[in-house]
Amino acid sequence: MEAYDNMITRQRKWMFYLLALLVLGAGITPYPRIFLGLLLGAVLSFYNLWLMQRKIKQFGQAAATNQPVRGIGTFTRMASAALAVLIALRFEDYFHVIAVLIGLMTAYLVIMIDYLLSKSRN
Amino acid sequence: MGALAAAIAVGLAALGAGIGNGLIVSRTVEGIARQPELRSALQTTMFIGVGLVEAMPIIAVVIALIVMGG
Repeated sequence: MEAYDNMITRQRKWMFYLLALLVLGAGITPYPRIFLGLLLGAVLSFYNLWLMQRKIKQFGQAAATNQPVRGIGTFTRMASAALAVLIALRFEDYFHVIAVLIGLMTAYLVIMIDYLLSKSRN
Repeated sequence: MGALAAAIAVGLAALGAGIGNGLIVSRTVEGIARQPELRSALQTTMFIGVGLVEAMPIIAVVIALIVMGG
């Protein structure tokens, strides 16, 4: 289980770094609307990442022990993306919608970059 | 027309994600059932595959909601 758990820890670390940078950007830079949008997207993206890690771990455990397998949470992740956009559309003065979309993609960027980096190291 | 466009976008994206996820999950279950000691490596591959597959439907959901709401 080491490889998978190490990957989870690395991805979580990178997401926390990104969130910290976005909070700094929202507080310091003169573009709070864009950074708040990015922050909203990144927070829900982090939730998606956590859910995906947890569900796939449960899935692997169930497959290894011949237990019945439940879903992997695709619908929940789509619903959380919809929630982010609905919040952004409802409070358009505070959140930039395109920034929310880019923020929602941060987890996938983190997954791909982490995979490429760990592959090039080994 | 906006609702129709949103429905088509989300529906096609969900279809693609369903097919892609189904292929990934079925191969992973086969692999884990055959060699349970490779579970960690197979889970990692499955995780990256599911991540790549699900990026597109999430963009589609966002675009559909923007089309409907904006």
